[in-house]
Amino acid sequence: MAIKQGGFSRKSKTSDEIPSSSLADIAFLLLIFFMVTTVFRTDSERDIIWPQAEATEKIDEKKKNILNIWVERNGSIFMNDQPYTMEQVSEVVGPLYAQSDRRLVISVRGDREVPYMTMDQLQKELVSAGVVRVVFATELEQRMTRQRR
Amino acid sequence: MAVLNNKKSKVSDEVPTSSMADIAFLLLIFFLVTTVFPKDKGLAIVLPEESETVEVNQKNILHIVIQPSGVVEVRRGESQQVQTVSPSDIEGIWRQDVASNPNLIAGVKTHPDTPYRFMIDVLDALQTAGADKISLQLLEG
Repeated sequence: MAIKQGGFSRKSKTSDEIPSSSLADIAFLLLIFFMVTTVFRTDSERDIIWPQAEATEKIDEKKKNILNIWVERNGSIFMNDQPYTMEQVSEVVGPLYAQSDRRLVISVRGDREVPYMTMDQLQKELVSAGVVRVVFATELEQRMTRQRR
Repeated sequence: MAVLNNKKSKVSDEVPTSSMADIAFLLLIFFLVTTVFPKDKGLAIVLPEESETVEVNQKNILHIVIQPSGVVEVRRGESQQVQTVSPSDIEGIWRQDVASNPNLIAGVKTHPDTPYRFMIDVLDALQTAGADKISLQLLEG
């Protein structure tokens, strides 16, 4: 059972290339990770022009506890892709607020040109539904754009 | 020609896997680019509860009236003197006034026809200046 020639004549089987066969696995893993973590929005974006604000902050609440209320330029209101009238808002929001264990945050997504009258009515509707935590959704404003205006 | 036939075929009998990584990375980049992160950001404010009405000393109120043109009128407490400024000036005014009166409350009254963005501009200025006692009202009369 002696090894002939001391086993030296055998060529090394180690390749001198970087092993690339596992690259596909890595990429697929990343791909699957992104596919799984991508959350598709439940409501589609309405066509609004966002108001801008410098003090814009992230909402500190879980996504499922955030309800978007869209207010378009003509004053029409959309929640979860459904149009509503102003009077219906509190009827819809009230039960949702109770369901969420009083944790619901309303994200008011108004067009920048909406008359404030509409926004005030909306706030009154929300207050009558018992919701007090409201976020006026805005785009982050940079100092530069502000100076130019 | 016999020499040619002697050569072994160089075509591999395995499925080519070297391009698999490229395909996967392409897909990966596609998903990276098309993923839209939702805009969950804005200016947070806590509205008063329905029954909640608080009497506030006039001295502690900074009246801010926003007109439809975007002009902002500032009036301090009981004084009748009106100062006309632009929304971005509110930040400095608040900082100055709150230093002399820590109990100051910002009473933002917006004209019904004012575009939403002017109210956001004022709210933005107040929040940038660190104001947390803000009252949003509709300008009446």
